[in-house]
Amino acid sequence: MNRYLAFFKKEIIEYIRTYKLLIMLIVFAIFGITNPLIAKLLPEIMKNLATDGFVITLPDPTAYDAWTQFFKNATQMGFIVTLILFSGVLSSEYSKGTLINLLTKGLSRTTVILTKYFSMVLVWTICIILCFILTYGYTVYLFPNDITYNLLFSVFCLWMFGLLLLAILMFSATLTKSSYGCLLITGIIVVFFMIIDIIPSIHKYNPISLVTDNMGLIMNSIKVSSLYLANLISVLLSIISLILSIVVFRKKQL
Amino acid sequence: MNILEINQLYKRFGDHEVLKGLDMVVPEHSIFGFIGKNGAGKTTTIKIILGLLKADSGSITVCGEKVSYGETKTNRYIGFLPDIPEFYGYMNPMEYLNLCGEITGLSKDKIKAKSEELLELVGLKNDKKKKIRGFSRGMKQRLGIAQALLNEPKLLICDEPTSALDPIGRKEILDILLAAKGKTTIIFSTHILADVERICDYVGVLHDGKLALSGTLSEIRGIYRHNEYMLEFNSETDAAIFEMLKELKQPSIQIERRRNTVKVRLADPNLDGSFLLKILAQKHLVPLKFNVLEPSLESLFIEVVK
Amino acid sequence: MDFQTLKEYLPFLIPLIILENSLSITALVHVLRHPHYRFGSKVMWILIVLFIQIIGPILYFTIGRGEE
Repeated sequence: MNRYLAFFKKEIIEYIRTYKLLIMLIVFAIFGITNPLIAKLLPEIMKNLATDGFVITLPDPTAYDAWTQFFKNATQMGFIVTLILFSGVLSSEYSKGTLINLLTKGLSRTTVILTKYFSMVLVWTICIILCFILTYGYTVYLFPNDITYNLLFSVFCLWMFGLLLLAILMFSATLTKSSYGCLLITGIIVVFFMIIDIIPSIHKYNPISLVTDNMGLIMNSIKVSSLYLANLISVLLSIISLILSIVVFRKKQL
Repeated sequence: MNILEINQLYKRFGDHEVLKGLDMVVPEHSIFGFIGKNGAGKTTTIKIILGLLKADSGSITVCGEKVSYGETKTNRYIGFLPDIPEFYGYMNPMEYLNLCGEITGLSKDKIKAKSEELLELVGLKNDKKKKIRGFSRGMKQRLGIAQALLNEPKLLICDEPTSALDPIGRKEILDILLAAKGKTTIIFSTHILADVERICDYVGVLHDGKLALSGTLSEIRGIYRHNEYMLEFNSETDAAIFEMLKELKQPSIQIERRRNTVKVRLADPNLDGSFLLKILAQKHLVPLKFNVLEPSLESLFIEVVK
Repeated sequence: MDFQTLKEYLPFLIPLIILENSLSITALVHVLRHPHYRFGSKVMWILIVLFIQIIGPILYFTIGRGEE
């Protein structure tokens, strides 16, 4: 346990001193604030853009628009920034050989993988909570009368998908030596989830539904129970990814 | 007791067979010079000992425990100094040693005391709060020794610790290693023979995938000693008299004189230095110097590797 | 936009401006203090982190900064 804690501390120090934590926090805070702001301003902007004879009228913005922004930003930009920042999770250690020293001191490779994964999960969790609180606060401030449903569960699904992505990123990192290779493999796996989503019968099992069905949940057009399976499968896939990472990493020649 | 035993170790990379049945034994409390040309397989051997590389076949025991690849249990006995040690640049030496200590499972007080002591030993006391990213090679090498000694290892493995350093840096590292000798056994891989002669008591020469030569420095010199003697007389006349003695006119004896020194090489194994001394006594010749010629490590190395 | 609307959006704008600028300034300080980059020059990275909001500093810290 002490080794987990020692290596965990090292990871957190690394995130702080290499500015990774700072970037994550600022980016997610900016998203948190801009989500409701964009929702509010979009009709105004459209109005100003519209010049003679060509008028685009948007309906008055609601809390739903703010949450649409939240789920769009977090899933696209948020995940991209997170994955890019964490893509060097192992490659930065490979390329410099910094891990060898610690491994020869009796640090097990399993500890390395699990600690690195849970450090990333911790940062991701803090960021998504920060982003959620900011969006929630400003949305209530701007649209006090709008009612949303299943909000926490919907964010939980998004968070769960993040856990899966990070587990896949961890596994990809054990397969290649470079951070680009790691990103590429993760990207391919995500695209694979998107492609199989074309088949409607798979949708309820497909983890991608955790980031596509959020608005449906909030508007109460999708039942909470319909996402239980996708959550369960995400958890299973995350665990499998981590086990595979450990298996591959233990046999890796450093 | 032997700290390290290697039996019949084989390792190939693709078509290139690096280790071809390496046998090696390192006794306790020695400084073992592990010599070999560049690319002879020194680093490969070390990585296998540390469980970082998988051997094709063969076995290794450290302190009586078997090393298995991927598992690093035996590494608790080992301190390792890589050829170019790399640390987390955003940490300072104290933080790094603290991390190492916690991973090794030392107590907080022990880590602190030990870190201070080791940073003093390696001469980084004044830099203990500076970020490692600004360190020179020599400083990193010294920090490397400090981290390797942190857990009081029974075996300290140094992979070419001096190859990348300037003469002053080299001397500092060798002095630190000598100072650490009382506490641990040291394996020291290198191709710089002068370093070996300076600090090692055992040597092993890795050549063609096997240990071509091993033993204490004096044993090895004993084996390869050519029964050569150098006599220096106080005048050229004396030297010439000695050279012309009929007792020395034998086919198994080679004599060579240069002014007042005479070099004698005895090829007959039944003859040794006492034979020469006897003749000197009989002829009432007293040399100024009577030297047994030692082969240099370099000439040995070249002879073995040839 | 008149003054009234601007005032209405101040609770958004102030934190946003602070966040964006702190990101830019952190990156700028890092660019100036560590003059080694994986590619590009000092001037290029100064311009990028100062004038490309949010994305610039992220680009710098992820792909631009040199090895320690």
